[in-house]
Amino acid sequence: MLFDLGGGLMNIGILSIIIFLPMVVALFLMVAPFSSRITRNAAFGVSLTIFALALYIYTHFELTGTLQFKEVYPWIKSYGISYSLGIDGFSLIILMLIATLIPSAYLLLWNNARSKSYWISMLFIQSGISGTLFSLDLFLFYFFWEAMLLPVFMIIGLFGSGNRVFSTLKITIYTIMGSLFMFVSILYLGVTHYYEFGVWSFALSDLVNITTIAREQKILLFFGFMLAFAIKIPLFPFHSWLLQTYSNSPTGGVFLLSSIMAKLGVYALVRFMIPLFPDLFVEFSIYFVALGIFGLVYFGIAAICQMNIKKMFAYSSASHLGFITAGVFALNVQGMMGSAFLIVAHAIATGGLFLLVGVMERHLGIRSLSGLGGIATKAPWFTLFFAIMLFCTVGIPGTNGFVAELLIVLGIFHYNPYLGVLSALTVLVAASYMFWVFQKAVLVKSDNDVSNMKDLTLYEILGLLPLAVLIIAMGIYPDLFLYKIEPTLQHYLIDILHVGVK
Amino acid sequence: MLVNDLGYLLPLIIVAGGAVVLMLLSPVERFSMERFSLFTFLILLGALGADLFYFGELFTAFPMQELFSKMLIVDSYSVYFDALILSGALVTSLIGTHYFQTKRHFKKEVFSLFLFSVFGMMLLVHANELLTAFIALEIASLSLYVMIGFQKIHDKRVEASYQYLVLGSISGAFFLLGSAMMYAGLGTTILGDIGKALDVQMGKDVSLIIIGATFILVTFLFKISAFPFQNWTIDVYDGSPLPVTAFMAATFKVAIFGFVLRLMLIDLDPIRDIWDTLFVVVILATLLYGTFLAIIQESLKRMLAASSIVHTGYLLIAFVSIGYAGESASSSIIFYLVAYFLSAMGAFGLISYIAADEHVRVTYEDFRGFAHVHPYMAAMLSVFMLSLAGIPSTIGFVGKFYIFTGAIEAGYTFLAVCGIIATFISIYYYFKLIALMYFYPACEKEGAMIPTLSGITPITIGVIAIAVIWGGIGNTFIAYFPGVDFLIDTARLSYMSLFIK
Repeated sequence: MLFDLGGGLMNIGILSIIIFLPMVVALFLMVAPFSSRITRNAAFGVSLTIFALALYIYTHFELTGTLQFKEVYPWIKSYGISYSLGIDGFSLIILMLIATLIPSAYLLLWNNARSKSYWISMLFIQSGISGTLFSLDLFLFYFFWEAMLLPVFMIIGLFGSGNRVFSTLKITIYTIMGSLFMFVSILYLGVTHYYEFGVWSFALSDLVNITTIAREQKILLFFGFMLAFAIKIPLFPFHSWLLQTYSNSPTGGVFLLSSIMAKLGVYALVRFMIPLFPDLFVEFSIYFVALGIFGLVYFGIAAICQMNIKKMFAYSSASHLGFITAGVFALNVQGMMGSAFLIVAHAIATGGLFLLVGVMERHLGIRSLSGLGGIATKAPWFTLFFAIMLFCTVGIPGTNGFVAELLIVLGIFHYNPYLGVLSALTVLVAASYMFWVFQKAVLVKSDNDVSNMKDLTLYEILGLLPLAVLIIAMGIYPDLFLYKIEPTLQHYLIDILHVGVK
Repeated sequence: MLVNDLGYLLPLIIVAGGAVVLMLLSPVERFSMERFSLFTFLILLGALGADLFYFGELFTAFPMQELFSKMLIVDSYSVYFDALILSGALVTSLIGTHYFQTKRHFKKEVFSLFLFSVFGMMLLVHANELLTAFIALEIASLSLYVMIGFQKIHDKRVEASYQYLVLGSISGAFFLLGSAMMYAGLGTTILGDIGKALDVQMGKDVSLIIIGATFILVTFLFKISAFPFQNWTIDVYDGSPLPVTAFMAATFKVAIFGFVLRLMLIDLDPIRDIWDTLFVVVILATLLYGTFLAIIQESLKRMLAASSIVHTGYLLIAFVSIGYAGESASSSIIFYLVAYFLSAMGAFGLISYIAADEHVRVTYEDFRGFAHVHPYMAAMLSVFMLSLAGIPSTIGFVGKFYIFTGAIEAGYTFLAVCGIIATFISIYYYFKLIALMYFYPACEKEGAMIPTLSGITPITIGVIAIAVIWGGIGNTFIAYFPGVDFLIDTARLSYMSLFIK
């Protein structure tokens, strides 16, 4: 029995391929003496392959609230830890998001990320993200959650600007602090499961059956998880890493941090917190809705005060994430659906904006608003995409940002009318500064010299085109996306939280 | 019967015999340092081979009872620890090869001393009697004292050696005094009998035994450098030649834990609760002080020494959990020892390789931009740092997982949280090195002095680096190849063998 080590090369499913393909390719590229161009092409090829796989999953996804494409293999048997993966409606849209956004981002970085390790880091990040997204075992989830951080650490430290070493250490220590408290909570749940049922398990589906935790402990565990997610999102007041990290990160890093990794915080909130602590989730929801709306206002105002474009978008991104969080905690299908929608909309728009700022930074080297102006005449394509992304962020009707914000505001109204009014009004904050930026930086001519600004190249246009199309398509015909996710959200609300669909 | 008994003791005999032979051969001019290091390696390999013969079997035996009367025990537990100590010694001899050959002031006696030290450690985990343990401890320590101070032209070495000698002897005296008190209270010093006698005594006055056992624990705390007995650690580790530091940090700790776990689990079981509060205080102070020391260090070697105090703190968390979650806590100690052993061996070994020629590359600053000149060495060093910091996909993470799970299982959630806090502070001093290596351009002035990757030492370190990662990922991918589960199962098995009556 002792030497029966089991395992073996297992039958690998589609989800495992999505996780490990980038990692394997990255490892191969790391040792092989290829040039950065070949590395880039390979990375792009991998991202397209994953897009194709994601499309396969999307078309074969059944409209139920259950987990699909499951893969379960034992991993560390003595502690009941398994390698188990699965996907439901909520993870599906994030998968689609990753699959679409990453190739786009690669196209924008096409001629500008000249280093091999840049692409390798990007591939590793993609692996970590997918792993986090599919994990159903809390140990495995934590494993990927932390592993995702290392390539981010590398990419900021190697390719960042400013005081990059300090920012990398800061974000690393900060996020690991949060995750380690989650780690203790996970261990506590595992041990409790062992005491209650006599077997070890870290699978989410097993841990939800635990009944023997006292309320005080449960609250501590709740906040242990919440801390990790709040730092990742980032929710006020856990945002102090945000500004430096975003402004010192290279374009690719900030893109991944803002459009994808922050969303994983929200995702994890829904995926793990709701099933594990349904009653506390309902009980504390009011605080988090309030905190979300507070963050929305606070970061909105902070964004107005910024003259540095990258920092401004960093704050505006955080502001929207507050909104998303508020929607998740609104405990009704509109709020949740709105959040899911805003996750997508925000990822596309903010991601696009950061990529465009990257382009601007490269040509002009200026990041301060006061040094810009009159870009529109020099770069019409740039202006067009900039405008579409901005409109989406602000929530102009016809873009998916509008649908999302409308749904969330509706959801919050249902939850609490006063907060609803407040949240509806705060949308104005974003509108004001975003239009101001657009006018000042892009439209109005000024004395500043912007003659170095070049228009987007073909690769860049190709990269941004799908994003722009998505923004408008989802804005005009929201059902295209909503129908896949609705059963999942209803499952969360009715089956787990016992909150009816209002 | 005799053959059987000798079979059990074969690893010990090989090492001790080898040590004596090397000692006798050392004046012979014909044998060079290289030859000697090869001999040492072969002797250790032979001993490990003999040891693996019983590996994975569940048994307990007292070889040569007429002669030794239960002074020595051979069971799965000691076999497991022997394997650890011998692999540690093997790795030390492999990574030390380069060091001992480049530093010409080492004489051939160092190999004999080294083997004696290994013998002492092995004897310690086989000791079934307090005085045997004392003798074993002294054999191991005395050889180390000399090995530390071997380079007598170097003041730092002599000072370290002397400091360790004086403090170590005092702590040894505590052990002896403790054993005397145990004997006075119970009339025996044989493990197993102590437990039985203690069971009989329970309910009566056992304060003498408690004082005696506390004295023994003082020695234990001293040797593993727990608070308040940690002060020697940094100076001694820093003052020692690097392979010796690696050997002390990783292997000696294994041996000490090997003996003390046996004592605590079997014999002091009835009175173990008494020390719980004391241990909680010791753990908190160890974590706090070790962390503080590690943060303020400039030299990499001193940082690793200080961080070894923090790791002692983690180990003690599991140690105090034993009372309430015996099996998982003790196997987690055993597993963590393996994890720490691999990571520390790798880190110390690699630094000793880099610093072998001269005193270059010893502080953090010296490693600025290192990755751009020596990508593979930097990658390996990063792996060890990640493992020490407990980042997933390394064995250090799995080790921490077991320790903290055990602590929570035992009801010490508070300690687990403190351990976690120490862990995330540790990210700072481990990641600082990675950041310095990768995120700065290379400042190359003494780069030429760093040996290139060739020879047996880098290969050994590379294998350790792979083992560190393999230990963190486990055995899901390749069948019939030992992974995490295997290590845990054998750790459990060796734990079980302690309770065979």
